[in-house]
Formats: sequence, structure tokens, C-alpha cells
Amino acid sequence: MSLDFQSIREQVKQLGENAISRAQQLQDKRTQALELLKNNSQNVAGLRQKVETVVRNHDLSLRCALPVIEQLTASFPLPVLPDEMTVLAADGSQITPDRHAEVNFAVINVGAIQLRQGSSDPPDTTITSQLLYDEQLYSTTGTITDAKLALMRDLNERTILAKLAKKAPPPVVTFTDGPMELWIGVAGGSQDIAENAEVLEAYMHSLSKLDGLGAITAGYVDKPSANLVVRTLEVAMTQQTELSEIKNLHPLRWVTDIALYRDIIESGERSPVFALQSRSAKSYKGPLALHFFYLNVGQPGRPYLARVDIPAWVAENPESLDILHAALIDQCRVMGVRPYPYLLHRAHETAVVKLQEKEQVTLMIAQELRERGLTLGELSSKQSAKQAGGRARYEW
Amino acid sequence: MVTTIEIGRLLRAGTTGFVVGCRVSQIDAPSFGALVRVPLEAGYQIYGLIYDIHIDDDGLVRQLVTAEGIDEAVIADNRVNRNVPIEMSVLAVGYQQDGQVFHLLPPRPALSLDAIYLCDDEELRNFTSAGRFGYFRHILRANDLPIGDLLAAHLNQVQARQVKAGNEDWAVEATQELIVLLRDDYATLMSVISTLADAVPEAWNRVRS
Repeated sequence: MSLDFQSIREQVKQLGENAISRAQQLQDKRTQALELLKNNSQNVAGLRQKVETVVRNHDLSLRCALPVIEQLTASFPLPVLPDEMTVLAADGSQITPDRHAEVNFAVINVGAIQLRQGSSDPPDTTITSQLLYDEQLYSTTGTITDAKLALMRDLNERTILAKLAKKAPPPVVTFTDGPMELWIGVAGGSQDIAENAEVLEAYMHSLSKLDGLGAITAGYVDKPSANLVVRTLEVAMTQQTELSEIKNLHPLRWVTDIALYRDIIESGERSPVFALQSRSAKSYKGPLALHFFYLNVGQPGRPYLARVDIPAWVAENPESLDILHAALIDQCRVMGVRPYPYLLHRAHETAVVKLQEKEQVTLMIAQELRERGLTLGELSSKQSAKQAGGRARYEW
Repeated sequence: MVTTIEIGRLLRAGTTGFVVGCRVSQIDAPSFGALVRVPLEAGYQIYGLIYDIHIDDDGLVRQLVTAEGIDEAVIADNRVNRNVPIEMSVLAVGYQQDGQVFHLLPPRPALSLDAIYLCDDEELRNFTSAGRFGYFRHILRANDLPIGDLLAAHLNQVQARQVKAGNEDWAVEATQELIVLLRDDYATLMSVISTLADAVPEAWNRVRS
């Protein structure tokens, strides 16, 4: 037992005492946010203009929702599911380099699954495994980071989707788990950022391919904690004279977008589509410009909201938007009481690398090196001690 | 004509039995009480009786059953693509060495991933006609198995093949042998008799008369 439970107990009591007042504050702020949403619902152009002015004059890194056309409190019913379509999902996992191990390597594994809607045939699964070793484990300034591996994984997910979408009968819906926006501003030198920018460029290239194929593409964010629309409302409620201080003004802090839309969009409905306003979103231009909407994938009386990221080529095409909307709800309903796109779960199952598999790859590499007469690296003393296990009970 | 139906591959084994894993597409062939064989090196193969067919669930399957109506493609995905473990437990009941059948425990077990086949009619007759029902001993010793039902299923399957080959008395002789073997175990005898009366009623009536 390594925790000081007495100390934790005291802190838990403190947490409980604060929770009541915090819940009340949160409720008040949510009510205020809802009022603002309703009051600004039709002021789409005005709000958009105000946000753009704030970005231009006061805060380049403002991260919020940019209203497009649809009213802020609008909700859109579940469209009819097409009789036939191809649904493609991809997910990835990775083995990160371990300097404590005998051999150092990394693996990016991507699983994809393809279902033909309207057919009773089982879906097809595809796995792509990429082993990284030697120079591939290093960046210009040091060893490859987890963030870089994650970027490469995201790139591989889109690449495999583009490859499969090319051969699939239309209409094709593709999605991955998580946001579509990649985070490239990681810690490290400018060279690292430049290398990450190369990955971003390749990612854009894959997105463009999907656009060229007319594939309806999305990123599905389960249980999102973002406050993109709420932040827009903060901009809306701020007086012109105070806008220069917007970076430090967070009057609706703690209210999330899903708390806002929970009672507005019914089961199966979607929210209005917003454009994403953020510094990195500026890299996604033209048909790739990032948009999103919220989707109530829950059951009647049990709302459960997800965020769906989409590029402009989907956002601006009502037919594509409807197909995506219907496909995601259909996929989530397969999972029963815990809604989540079935194919995304299956893609995850297909891609996930288990500890046993990591050990198997380690053994394969070690065997290859030994057969070539090479000496292996040494397991670190720290790792060796960890593997020794804990104290065992004496049994008789 | 000799038919060869592979029903799966070996997962784990011991001297007294083994467990076979199979794909859903293979599950149609084997049945409770069926005789199977595991061919090993030249002239040596192990025989066993299927006494349990087990289908595990997992978290996803448990969640899918909560959905309203499951799409055919999702069912097919779970049966064909996912690693849903179907396991068959087999009781070792004998072996064959150089053409001779022994109703004894096999000298060494099968190994991981050895293929398991369903015995065809001829193999079934050869095994069950060899000796004097010595393999019943292995079944009756397995106290934690549903002995009565296992014997009933087995006798029912074998009787049809033996009758087809002109051996009308096989089930009668088998029933008489079981009564002899269980003469000191009244509880098990009663349980076995009640199941045999259902499975091979003609043989049972002949034994009674």
C-alpha cells in the first residue's frame, strides 16, 4: 500500500465540501450560457464578425466556434439512412521506444474495418504495421517523442482510409477516433516543429485525396470536454471596451459545450455546424477547413453527446452531412446502452497492440540480431528490478 | 467413402483429455458425445469423446445484446472476424497404434495446434467394436461430467452406424456392459439407465426382457 490514505481521506472530505457550492456555481453559469445562446441564436453573422475582429485585433490564438449559417439553437432531425453505402473506420495504436529494454524499436499499428451497409456480409478488416528502428527513432534534436509517434499514427490512419476509400463503392463514409485537427506545436526545437509540419503536410495530402474521392470524412470525439461554443458566447458577452483583455476573461469557465446542448438536441439530432477557430486550424484551408457539430447519440431521456469534426467539403454539402449524421447514429445504436460507433470500436480492437505482442516483436528482433552474431543491448537495472516482481507470500 | 472433417485444432491437452478451439464456421459438424481423433505420427492417433462445447462471451458481445435488433453484418463480424473462442472439451478414451485400437489412456498427449477430426462411420465402428467396451471405464470415472447424457448421446450416435453395418446387437451389448460396470454404484446406474431408455429405447427394452 503506497498511498497515504489518511491524508487522501482529509482531501476527499475537502473535495466533498467544495462540490456543493461548485455545482451551484456551475448550474448558474450554465443557465447564463443558455440565455446567451438563445439571445444570440439568430445573430450568426454578427457573432462571426465579432469573433473575427477579436482574433484580428486582440487574440490570435483564440480557440472557439465560428457560427456558419445555421442558428445557434437549431437542431436537425435524424436523416434517413441510405440503403447502400460503404462505412470505413480506422484506429491506431503504437509501441513507444523503450530505452530500458534490450532492443529499442517502435511500432505504429493501424487497423481499419470496412462495412457495406445493406449487406449481411461480415466487414473486412485490414492491419498495417510499421516497424521503426535505427535512425527512424531519432529526430533532429533527439529521440522520437510520443507526440511525433501519435502524429505519424494519425497520418497512417488517414492514409489507409484514403487507400481503402479509393476501391470502395460510393457513397463512402470514413471516420477515425478523436479530433481531425493535429497538434504539431510540441516541445522541442524549431527543427522538430519543421519535421512535424512535414507530417501535417502529408496528412493534408491524405485529406485532399479523400476530398478528391468524394469520401465523407469525420473525426468522432467521444465525451468531449471542449468549450468552443461557450468561448464564443464569452466573446459575445464581453463589452467592446474589454475585448482587449479577452485572453484573461473566462466568465463561463467550467461550462462545456455538451452541457449547453444537452437539452437542446434530442436523441438522434445534431446541432448546427460551426467552423473551428484556432491558430492551428488556419493550416486547414479551402475544402479542408475544419468544422464540427454535436450529435446526440443517446437514447430518448438519456442524452449522450459526441462532437463530430468534419472538413469543409462535408460541412458545405447538405447531402454528405445527412449521410454522415445517419451513419454515425446507426453505428452508435449498434452498441446499445453505451453508444459509440461500432466500427470504431472494432477498428480499435483490430489495431490495439497487447503487451504480449510487444514482447513477441522484441523476441523476433533479438533472435534476428543473435542469428547475425550481434550482441544485444542490456536490460536496464531499473527495468530488471521492476520485472523481478513483488514480495511473494510464503505458502505451505 | 472416407470423409475427413476437421473440426478444429488443439489448444491444450493432458493425458486424460484435451481442449479444441474452432472457428464458428466449423461448429456445425461436431456434437456432444461425438467421437473425434487426433492423428499424430505415423500409425498413432488418439481418440476422444466431446463432452462439452463452450462459447465464451466478452465485453462487446455483452454490450451488443443490449441493442434493439442486431444487424446481420454485425453478427457475421462477431462470428467470423472476431476472436470469439469456441472451445470443445474432449475426454480421451483410447488410441490406435499401428492399426490396433486400445481402449487405454494414450501414452502421450497431442500437441498444440494439432488438427482434430470427426470420426467417420467406419472409424466409429472400428473403435467401438474393438475389445469389450473398455473405453466406458474412462467415461464412468469422470464424475464431474454428465455421464448419463454423454453415454446416451454416444450410444445413440454409434447404434445407428452399427445397425447400418448389420450389427443389430451392439447397443444391447453396450447397455448390458454398462449395467455390469455400474452394479456397485446404484445412483449412477439409475441415472444412466434413465437416459439410455430415452436414447436407445429398443436396446433398453431388449435388455429388460
